Amino acid sequence: MMPTALKRLTSALLLALWSLAASGEETLHLHAESGTGQTPLVIGAALDLHQARPLLEDFHRRHPHLDITYRNLTTLELHQRFLDAPDAADVVLSSAMPWQYRLANDGHAQPLDSDIAHAWPAWARWRHELFAFTFEPIVMVVHRDFTERFGELESHGDLLERLADHPRALAGRVVTYDPQRSGAGYTYAIEESRLSPRYWDLVAVLGQARTALAETTGEMLEGLASGRYLVGYNLLGSYVRDAVADHPELTIVVPEDYALVVQRLAFIPRQAPHPEAARLFLDYLLGETGQRTIAERTQLGAVHPDLEGPGTAAALREKLGDALRPIALGPGLLATLDDLKREALLTRWQREFDREGPAFR
Amino acid sequence: MKHGDSLYRRLLTWLLLPALILAGLMVVQAWLEARRTADRAFDRLLEAASLAIAEQVQWQDDRLWLDLPPAALEMLATDAEERVFYSLVDREGRFITGNAELPGDSRSSRESGDTLFFRNLEWQGLALRQGVRRSQLEDWRQSEPYEVRVAHSREGRDALARELLRGNLAYILVMAALTVTVLLLAIRAALAPLTRLRRAIRARDPRTLAPLELPLPRELAELRETLNDLLARMRRVRANQERFIGDASHQLRTPLAGLSAHAELALRHDDPQRWRDALVAMQATSARTARLAMQLLSLTRLDNPEYAPEFDELDLAAVARQAVRDHWAHCHRDGIDLGVEDPGSPATIRGVTWQLDEALGNLIDNARRYGARRITVRARAQPPALEVEDDGPGIPESRHLLVLRPFHRGQDDGEGSGLGLAIVDGIARTHGARLRLGEGTGGRGLIVSLTFPREDP
Repeated sequence: MMPTALKRLTSALLLALWSLAASGEETLHLHAESGTGQTPLVIGAALDLHQARPLLEDFHRRHPHLDITYRNLTTLELHQRFLDAPDAADVVLSSAMPWQYRLANDGHAQPLDSDIAHAWPAWARWRHELFAFTFEPIVMVVHRDFTERFGELESHGDLLERLADHPRALAGRVVTYDPQRSGAGYTYAIEESRLSPRYWDLVAVLGQARTALAETTGEMLEGLASGRYLVGYNLLGSYVRDAVADHPELTIVVPEDYALVVQRLAFIPRQAPHPEAARLFLDYLLGETGQRTIAERTQLGAVHPDLEGPGTAAALREKLGDALRPIALGPGLLATLDDLKREALLTRWQREFDREGPAFR
Repeated sequence: MKHGDSLYRRLLTWLLLPALILAGLMVVQAWLEARRTADRAFDRLLEAASLAIAEQVQWQDDRLWLDLPPAALEMLATDAEERVFYSLVDREGRFITGNAELPGDSRSSRESGDTLFFRNLEWQGLALRQGVRRSQLEDWRQSEPYEVRVAHSREGRDALARELLRGNLAYILVMAALTVTVLLLAIRAALAPLTRLRRAIRARDPRTLAPLELPLPRELAELRETLNDLLARMRRVRANQERFIGDASHQLRTPLAGLSAHAELALRHDDPQRWRDALVAMQATSARTARLAMQLLSLTRLDNPEYAPEFDELDLAAVARQAVRDHWAHCHRDGIDLGVEDPGSPATIRGVTWQLDEALGNLIDNARRYGARRITVRARAQPPALEVEDDGPGIPESRHLLVLRPFHRGQDDGEGSGLGLAIVDGIARTHGARLRLGEGTGGRGLIVSLTFPREDP
C-alpha cells in the first residue's frame, strides 16, 4: 500500500529516466520585428533545437509580429514545470506520450477549433485537444560487421533467430534501453509486450546474449560508432539518423515485421497566456506548410495525409504497410503510467531477461 | 371587428395551447428518457471495465496488487473520446493505484446487496459518470475487501441521448404537425355552418322578410329560430304600417276630394254668394284636414320606438285645470258643462306637459263630438291619474280594444278622424301609464283614465 506522496515520487523518478533529449535547458529566442504589435509566444518543448529550429524560423518568417521563446527541456523538466506553472507556456510539445495524454485527460488542454485541426486524421489526435504532429519509427541500428558475419537483419524475427543461433558470438554485442532506468525504454517494452507475446522470447534471448543495457541514446550510438556494439535495438529513428549519416558503417533498419512509431504530441494548455498565438503556431504545425518543413528539413516525419515523398508517414507506410504500429493515442496510455503496472512489467521483464536459456546448458 | 374576437382564433388558442403544453411535456419526458437510456447503455461499459480491472486484483507481497489491463481503460472510451479515470482503493479507502483519487460512493451495499453503484459526479470541474465496484479477494487465510472506481466524462452519453432525442423529436414534431392540421381542419369544418348562415343572410333580397330556411346544427338552429321570430315581428309591424299608410291616405283623400268638388261646383256659377258659401265650406274642410294631418303627425311620432321625449316634473291637477281652461269657451258655446275635480294634494309625476294637454284635449273633443252634455276632468293623487268622464252614449266593453286602433270610429258622423283615442293610447305608452275605459257613474257615459306609475322617491 503506497501513500500518494511516495507514488508521486516514483512517478517523478520514472519520468526522470525518460531521457531522450540532452539534459539542460536550451532556449531559442526569435524577436518580433520592431514596429509591429508584439505578441509573445512561449513554447515549452522536449524537442532538440536543431530539429525545431527550421520549423520555428519558417513560422516566424510567416508571423513576424510574434515574439517567440522556445525552451527545450527534458521531458521530465517539461512535465514538472508545467505542473508547477500551468499558465506559463502557450504550447507544450513532448514525445512522452503517456504524460502528455494524462495531462490532456485531466483537462489541462484546451480544444483547438480550427479547420486545420478538424481536418487532422482522427488516429493522430485526441478530442481536438492533443495532436500528434510527427511520425518517428523505433528502429534498429546495425553495424556493417554484423551484416558481414551474420547476414542481413530485417526484422524482430531475424534478431531473435540470430541471437538464439549465436548467443556466444553476440554476447555483449547488442545494446538496448534499460527499461528500469529509461522511461522511453519502459514505454517501448510495455507497448511491445502488448503487440506480441513473442516479445518475451526476445527479451529472454537478449538476456541470454548478455545484452548491454543503456540509459540514453547517446550512450548507445557512441558504442555502436566505436564498434563495441553490433546491434542497437529500439532506438528512436529521428535521433539516430544524423549520427548514422556521419558513420557509413552503421545502417538503420526499420523492422519489417513490426515497427513501433512514436509521435510527438502538442497541446495548448487551458491556462495558456497567449492562446491566439498558440493557435497560430499549432495551425502552422498541423498545416501543410509546417508539415512540409518537418518532412523536408527535419528527421521527425510528417503526418499530414496530403504529403508524400521522403520524410513523410505516407512514404513509410508505402514501404512497410501494416508493419507500422503507431502507439495508440488512447486511454491505454494511462496504464503505462500505473505504478503497479510498471512494477509488474519490470518484474516480468527482469525475470525473462535473467532466465537461463537452454542454449547455455 | 377586432381580431381577438374571432371565434376561430379563440377555438384555435384554447385547443392549441394545451396541445403545445402537452408537446412540451413530451419533449422533456423524451429528453429524460433518452438520458436514462443512454446512461443504461453506457453504464455497461463502466460495469465491464470495473470487472476487467477487478479480475486483475491480487494479493501479493502482503498488499493489494493490480496488473492493470490497458484494454479495461480503452473500453471506457468510445468514439466520443471520453476522459477516463480509475482508481483502486483498499478496505480503509486508501488509494492503492490509479490516475485519479476518485471519491467513493456513500451508498451501502449491506442493505441492497448491490456491489456496483453508478452515479453522476462533478469532479474537479468535470461532469463524470462514476461506477464503483465493491469486491473482495478470497484467500485461504483472509478475505480482503477492495473497491474499483472507474469514471468517464459524459460526451458519449450525451451524444447518444441527443441521437435518441432527435429520433423522438422527429416523431413528436410529426405528431404535433398532424394535430395542428387536424385542429385547423376541424375548427374550419365546425365553423362552416356559420359561414353558410352569413352567406344565406347576405344573399337575401333586402326587402324580403321571409323566414330563413337552411339546415344548421342545433346551436345555430336556435339562432336561426330567434332570427325568424324577429323577422315575423317585423312582418307584423310592416303590415301595420302599410295599413296605417293606406288608412291615412284614404282619410286625407276624402276631404281633399270634397275641397275639389266644392271648388268645381262654385266655378260653374257666377253668383258671388255661391262662391262665398263654397269658400266657407272649403275653409271648414281644410281646417279639419289640417287637424287630421297634425294628428297623423303626432301619432307617427308617438309610434316611433326611437322617440324618447324629455320628462319634467309636473302636477296632474295643474294639467287638468289648464285643459278645462283651454276648452271651456268652446264647450260653453255648445252648451256643454265642462268641470274639473282636484285631489287637493299635489299629484306629481314626470311627464311631458304638451302631450298630456293633447291627450286631455282629444278626450274632451271626443266626448263633445259624441254628444255628451256634461264632461268632468279629474286628477287623482293616489295613485297619480287623470280621468275624463262624460255622460254620452259610452262604448260597450266588447269594443274597448277596437276603438284604440287608428281610424276606427265609434260612429260615422264625418266629423272625427278616428285618431283621438289612438293618440291617447300612444301618449299613455310613452309615459308608461295604463289606459283604461270604463262605464261612467250610474252606468251611463264613459270614463277614460290614465293611471301613471307611482313615482319612485
